[in-house]
Order: sequence, then structure tokens, then C-alpha cells
Amino acid sequence: MREFMHYITNAFYGATDWNEDNTYKELNATARELIDFPIPRGLRLTLSSLATPNFATSYQLGSIGIVDGSISYLHSSIPLTSTVAQSDRIPLPALLRSYRRLHDLGSIEGEQSVDKVGDEDTPPVNAPAGVHHALCQNGHTLLYGRLYLPQSLLEGLVVRRFNPSLQVQLSAVSEQSLKNGGTVLGLVQYDKGKYGVEGLASTDGGLLGVRGLYNFGGDAASSAKSPPTSAVSSDANGNGQPVEKERIYGRFSAGGEVYYGTLNKSGGMSLGARFATLPAHRGTPLTATLTINPLMGNINATYAVLAQDYCSLATRMEFNVYSYESEWAVGMELWSNRRPAGFLLGADPSSQNEPDPAPPTRRERSFQAKMEWRLDDPEPEPERAKAGTNAAEGGSKEEYLGVLKARLDQNLRIGLLWEGRVKSLIFSLGTGVDLRRLGEPFRSLGLEVQYSS
Amino acid sequence: MAFNFNWSPLTADADFYKRARDLLTTALNKSPKPPIIVDDIFVTELNLGSVPPDLEILEIGDLAEDRFRGIFKMCYSGDAFLTLKTRVQANPLNTYLSAKPSFTSPQPLAAASGLTIPLQITLSEIKLKAFIIVVFSKQKGLTLVFRDDPLESLKVSSTFDSIQFVRDYLQRTIEVKLRNLMMDELPSIIHRLSLQLWCPDQIAKEDDRSKEADEHGVNPLATPPLDAVDANGHLLDSAAISELSLDGGPESQSLFSQKNLLRLSSLTSSQVTSSLHTPAIRDVLFRAWAGPSDRADGTNTPPLSTPNLARSSSYIGSAHTYTFSDSSSLTHDSLPSRPSLVSLNSATAGLSLGAGRHNKAGRKKKTRVVNLRRKAGTEVGSEQGDNVSDTASTAAPMSEPIMPHPILEVPEEHLNMPSATNQGKVRFSRPSETLQQPRRPSLRSEALKAPEAQIPSIEVNDVPNVTQKMSEKQSQPIGTQASREPVLADTKSEWRPSRPMSDTSSVILEQAWIMKMAGEIARRVYDEKNRNPAFWDDRDDTPPPAYEARGC
Repeated sequence: MREFMHYITNAFYGATDWNEDNTYKELNATARELIDFPIPRGLRLTLSSLATPNFATSYQLGSIGIVDGSISYLHSSIPLTSTVAQSDRIPLPALLRSYRRLHDLGSIEGEQSVDKVGDEDTPPVNAPAGVHHALCQNGHTLLYGRLYLPQSLLEGLVVRRFNPSLQVQLSAVSEQSLKNGGTVLGLVQYDKGKYGVEGLASTDGGLLGVRGLYNFGGDAASSAKSPPTSAVSSDANGNGQPVEKERIYGRFSAGGEVYYGTLNKSGGMSLGARFATLPAHRGTPLTATLTINPLMGNINATYAVLAQDYCSLATRMEFNVYSYESEWAVGMELWSNRRPAGFLLGADPSSQNEPDPAPPTRRERSFQAKMEWRLDDPEPEPERAKAGTNAAEGGSKEEYLGVLKARLDQNLRIGLLWEGRVKSLIFSLGTGVDLRRLGEPFRSLGLEVQYSS
Repeated sequence: MAFNFNWSPLTADADFYKRARDLLTTALNKSPKPPIIVDDIFVTELNLGSVPPDLEILEIGDLAEDRFRGIFKMCYSGDAFLTLKTRVQANPLNTYLSAKPSFTSPQPLAAASGLTIPLQITLSEIKLKAFIIVVFSKQKGLTLVFRDDPLESLKVSSTFDSIQFVRDYLQRTIEVKLRNLMMDELPSIIHRLSLQLWCPDQIAKEDDRSKEADEHGVNPLATPPLDAVDANGHLLDSAAISELSLDGGPESQSLFSQKNLLRLSSLTSSQVTSSLHTPAIRDVLFRAWAGPSDRADGTNTPPLSTPNLARSSSYIGSAHTYTFSDSSSLTHDSLPSRPSLVSLNSATAGLSLGAGRHNKAGRKKKTRVVNLRRKAGTEVGSEQGDNVSDTASTAAPMSEPIMPHPILEVPEEHLNMPSATNQGKVRFSRPSETLQQPRRPSLRSEALKAPEAQIPSIEVNDVPNVTQKMSEKQSQPIGTQASREPVLADTKSEWRPSRPMSDTSSVILEQAWIMKMAGEIARRVYDEKNRNPAFWDDRDDTPPPAYEARGC
């Protein structure tokens, strides 16, 4: 579950139309979130509120043996009016979904997205291009502070958007036990759509870093790219498969990162590439990444697929060519509405029996899915339901009430997490199971309850 | 006198290396490891080599068949080696991130991916030079303490020898770590090993204690009190040590073997309840344990007489349980569950009666025991020495807070020997003395009204027994006792007033008494010195430095 403040921060990015995913850091975010989802420990209660469109508070009380807690405040200079913060109405996928669909690259698909924005009645939030583009995104600031109480650890974050392609983040932690009493990390993000570059500097060890991501293929290429993809589809057509199923339509991204610690004279680097289907892709959405750390000989490949709308799967393989150590992990996410077996009935017919209406609906849905990461979920949700299932009862069926996440790694450790909404509370119940030690399999157990208004 | 140190038998024992490896492994993994070490540290090879260390004997404080204490100067440059195996994280970015708050982490995508490398480190050409203090007793095992940093140099060879800065880093880190190991962990490892070798029955208790004391590498005060008492005197030092010991009084009880405590308490309780014959057998048994050492101290190291003192310390342990079981519970209800010597002696003013009584109990026991053994060998001791030993031992706990050490240290060690030899007579006079002398009743009448009725009555009941026993033993003619009595009374009358008035003017009186005692002692010391000058030159040595350093 994303923390409330994280959710609000995402809403800020959405409101200022900042593509958070267009950075090398988020290259394999989908697989990471599907596999490495955090499992709560102990009991944790969160009370949050978006008191005004500009101001949010969150109080957290936790107990893992000892009672601790945190108080956090957030101020956004842009009003987050369209953000749904009430925990009884908050869109669960926005809060819980791991599979990330690609966002449109704003500068390139300007006209398209304006059209879509017009369609979906969410003008201020996602207007990557247009007249109000510059108006609503420049000079906005987000301030965030959090105080952990018994440790008296203070976190602070400032996000400042200078112009449509430049954003600066400054995060700081202050704690007594840290060297020099705290650290500050500065991050300059430059996003041009086709590429995104970040530069960072940390006071801790004098770490400097540069990372960049370059997009090509798919929508990143010019419109001339679309004939090849249709050619691919015609090839696939020869196999007798449904046309849209087989047409691979996605975007390639490649990037790298370099770090150097000026004080401790150490560094690191990695290279990465990703292929992800675009929301317009009518087949199964998938994401595949490959990262290589040439210094350490580490190769990491992930593959994540949104098998059905209610089911995502991910695998990860790691191999080190120097030490011959390998790791694997699989993760799964299963959405359900209330009835335990109901989601099987709902989705299967739609995928099999309706190839013809699928293209337009898919298109609608995919863009809406993109929206999911933002603010306007309640409105699209029924819409997608109507379009996706093409049935009257679909609206009630698609109202997801919970998600089950599971992972398994090569040490036969299982992580289980159920998250869902009960009444107006959002629960997150997780446990870690170690199959190697069946005598006491439960390594951890945790429950998180979140209420927001 | 010759010592024979066997270096090879250790290596001959096949099990020894395995045990030592296990102990080293657990010791190395106990402290939290730096993030660069991602696995447990395993000791894969350990060889003590064939070259023994050079030992130079600086001082031998205690020598007997079953115990030994000495200070050595050790130089070692042998061929011992030690091989460790672990896995380290080779990615500096990974270790850099591991200790940092995640909020300001740069969150690298794959640059921080780990590369764990198995690392084998061989420590060889170890050169040590140190003063070591070795304390061995068959019941307590072997304690070895380094007085100062022993490590002179060593050679670290590892998997990364080809990389210069890694090698330097390892060399530095390991030297630091090894110093800690030598100073803190090695004594406890050796102690455990020795316990396994010589007294396996102690291990269980040792483990219990180590569980209770929350993971101190080694409590230097756990074993030494026996030894420290040896060096300096009786009650005074055990009190000081138990003051120093981390857990205070209750801990000091566990310093003594449980069996002995039980026996001694039954012995003392039998004296209270006037049934004298039952524990007599046990006394003999107990004496038989400490017997050889008695003889040894009588012959070999006369004035030091450390074994003797060790015994006295064990008496104290039992004696104070005894004391609190009756007198304290009667008199001071506020301190019912504190059987600690420390509380007794530190609260001199309030507990002066208890202290006196407690001390007396100790003395009483000593009388009995020594008497049983020493009857044959009694010689005519000087009355004066007898007196002095009496008063010194009784007054020790009281005057401990104020009495300066240099004054007491010499006398007690010195005086203890005569007291041991002459104890027979004095002890026999003691029970009757308690009756005849007005000291205790008068004390009681002042300090406590209610219990007085009971205890005197018990002692009155005691009288026939005691006298009967004395007549049975017939070890000493009454005449000598009587002739000694006035002297006893003399000294008693001198210091007796200090007891009741201890809360107000005890300091002055005790100072006066101490001055007198000091004069007396100095005279005796002088005499003794004239008689045996060589020894006294030796005696000026400082007490074993380990405890000095740790304690104060």
C-alpha cells in the first residue's frame, strides 16, 4: 500500500503533469513493486486527511514491540481539488496496484492527450499540452515534513517545479545518530519526454550521480513508426491469431546511471533497457527489463505481465557473472471484488468473446488505466467497467475491493499480503512465511489500517 | 623449583582444535558486524604451531597442586596461524546505502546490486608481547588476562592480496578487531575451554550465569575475587571486590560453589541451633578439599598464606548468608532480602551490630574448622599475635570504609598466618567468651531490645554443649585459655566501645584504634622483616594489576 503522503505526492505530480516514471530510477518499477512489495510489521494505524486542497496531514501510530509514530504535513501550492482522499472512496488501484502502465510522453503526444482529456472530463489534472499547460505547471512547490517521534528523526522534502521540463527535489533527513547529524539529497530532474536526465548530489560521502533514460520506438518514435507495427501485425495475422492480440506495440527505453562518491572514492554504475507495451497495445500488457552492472557483473532481468485486468505476474532473475550467484523471485497480484470467485466470471468472457469491440474499448481503458495513477479514478472506473465488459452488471463487478499479493523467492520464502477496503478503512494484512523452517513458518505478521478523510 | 610447560599436548588433543574453533566462531559472530561482511565469520583453520611462547615468570602469587596464580611476561613469535572464512560485499555502493536512511537514498537502480565474494583471511606470523596474569584453580578453571595490548604485529594474507588498498584496509581492520578479541574475548574463551577440560560440572552453572549477566565478554570480577582475596586479606577485600563486581552481592554468592555454601550454612546453622555433631562430618570433608593447600601455604609461602585467605573468603560467603538469616531478619526488617556483603559493610553505621555479628560468625566457623584439622600441629603461639589477629579480623569489615589500604594490607596478610596456626586455642576460648564477656549482651541491649530475649537464651542453651565439647576435645588446657583471657579482654575493652557508638564517634575511635593497630603491626612487621628480609622485599609488590585496572 502506498502511504497516504506518497499518494498525495503522486497527486501533485499528476496535477503538475510531471511524468514520474520517465526516469531511469523507475525503469523496473513494475516488477519491483510486484515482487518486493513491503509487508507490514506489527500494528500500524494511520489517520490522514486532505484538509484543504493544499494541505494534508497524516498521523501514524505503530507498535512493533515499542510504540512509535510519526506526524507528517504536506503543503502543495497547486490545489489538489480533484484528488480523492477519503478512504471510503479512494480508488484502490491508485493506492494498491503494482503494474504500471506507461504514461504518454507529454511533448510528443500532445494532441492526442488533449483529445483524451477532452473525452474524459479531467482537464486540469492531465493536460500535458495545450494552452493551460504552462500556466498550471510552472512554479509550483510541494513541501513535506515528517517527524518520527521516539527517534526524533525528521524528514523533509521540497519539490519545486521550475518549468515544464525541470523539477528540483531536495530531501533531507536529520537524526542524531547520523554522521554530521543528517544528510541532504538534491535531485535535479529534466524531462523532455523523449529522454529524461537526472543529476543528484548527496552530502553523505559527497555522492554525485547522473542517470538518464532515452525512449525510442513505439510512440516515442515519430508517427512513421506506426506502419511497421501494423506490418508486424499483418505477420502475426498469418498465424491465425486475432490481429490485436499479436500486434506488439510498445516503447523501448534505455538508460544508465553513474555514481561517484567524492569523499569515499567509490562509485557504481549500471545500464538498463526496457520494453513495455503501450496502453494502446491491444494484447496483453507486458514489461520486460534488463539491467546490467558491468562493474559488479550483475545481470538482472525482469518480466512482468498484466495477464488479466485482475491478475499481474512478475518474475525476476539475477545472475552474477563473477560470483556465479543467482537469484530468482516471482510475484503475483490478484484483484478481487467481494465474491471470492467472482472475478473469474467477470473477466473471462470479455477477453474471449469480444474481439471486435475490443479495440476502441481497449483504447479507452488503457488511457484510463494511465489515469489510474493519477486522480480521476472514480469517474473512469464505471466507464471502464461499462466499456470493458460491455454489460450492464459490469459496473458492480469491476469495483475491486481487495487485492492479494504474493511472492516467492529462491530461499522459499513466501510473502503474502492482502489489502483491501472494509467499510471506510483500508486494511493491509501481511505475513512472511519461510518454507525452509516449517517448525515456525511465520517470520513476521503485520496489520496496517489506514483511514483518511 | 622448575616449571614444565607442555605446549604439544594441546595440539595432540584432536578435540581441542574443534572446540577452540567453535568458541572462536561464536565469539567472532557475537558483536554486530559491519555491513561489508554479509555472512557469518567461520574459523576454518586454527593451529597453535609448534613453537611455544617464551614465558618469563615475573611473579608467582600462589602455587599449589590445584591452583596457581602468576604474572608472566610473554613473547610469542611462533608459527601459529588462523584462517577465517566469510563473505564480503564487494560493491561499495551497496555498503554505502545499507547504513543510510532510505528517504535520502539516491535509489540507484542496479548500481548497488550486490557482489558477494567469499573471503579467506589467514592470520600468521603473529607476534605477541604482553604481560599476562594467569589464575588457575581446579574449581574455577583457568583465567588468563592480558594486562596491556598484546598484539605487536601480524601478517594478514587474504584473497585480495593483489589489491593494495584492500589489503591495507583488511590489515588495519583485522588488527583492531584482533586487539579487541585478545583483550576481551580470549580470556572468556580460555576460561570456558579450561572449564570443559577440568571441571565439566561447572559449565552448566557458568552458562546460567553468562545468560543472566547480559553478555559481558568476560566479567573480570567473576573469577578473580578468590584471587583478589588471596592477595590482600580476608573480609576487607572480598567486600571491596563484591563492591566492584557488577551485580553486587547476589553475584558474589554464585562465586562460591553451591555445595560448599550449603555445607557451610548447615554448619553455621548447626552452631546456632547448638547441634554440633551433625555437620562435623561435612567439615572434615570440606577441609579435606582444601587440605593440601593448607599444608602448602604453611610451608612454602608462609606469610602470604593465600590459600588460607581463599578459604576465609568462602567462609565469608557462607557466613553472611547465615548472618542475615538470623540477626538481620530479626533486627533490620528493611533489609530482609539483601544478603550482600556490600550492603553490610557499606552501611557500617546502621549495621554495625550486624557486621560485628556476621564477622563473629565467620570467626566462629573458622575456629571450628581449623581446630578440627590443626589440633595435632598446634604449637604454642604468641599470645600477642593471637590477639592481634583476632581484633584485626573482627574489625576489618567495620573499618573498611575509612581505613586506608596500606595500613591494613600488610597487617592482614602478615597476621593471618599466626592466626591460622594458633587458631585452635583462640577458637576454643571463643564460645565461652561469648557467654562470659558482656560484649554481646550489652550490644544487644543497646541496639535491639526484642530479639535479645531469644538469642541469649539460645546461647545459654549452648553453654553445656560447648563446654562439653571442649572437655571432650581437651585440646587445650584451661589454664592457657585462662591466661589468655585477660589479654583478650584487654583488647576487647579497647575497641568494644566503638561498636555501639559507631554512628557518632566511631570514626575517631577507630582511627585511634587503627593507629594503635598500625603501630603494633608495624612493630610486628619489623620483627618479621628482620627474621625474613627476603620475603618482605618481595611483598612490596603491588596487588595483581588486572583487578586494579578494571576495578578502580
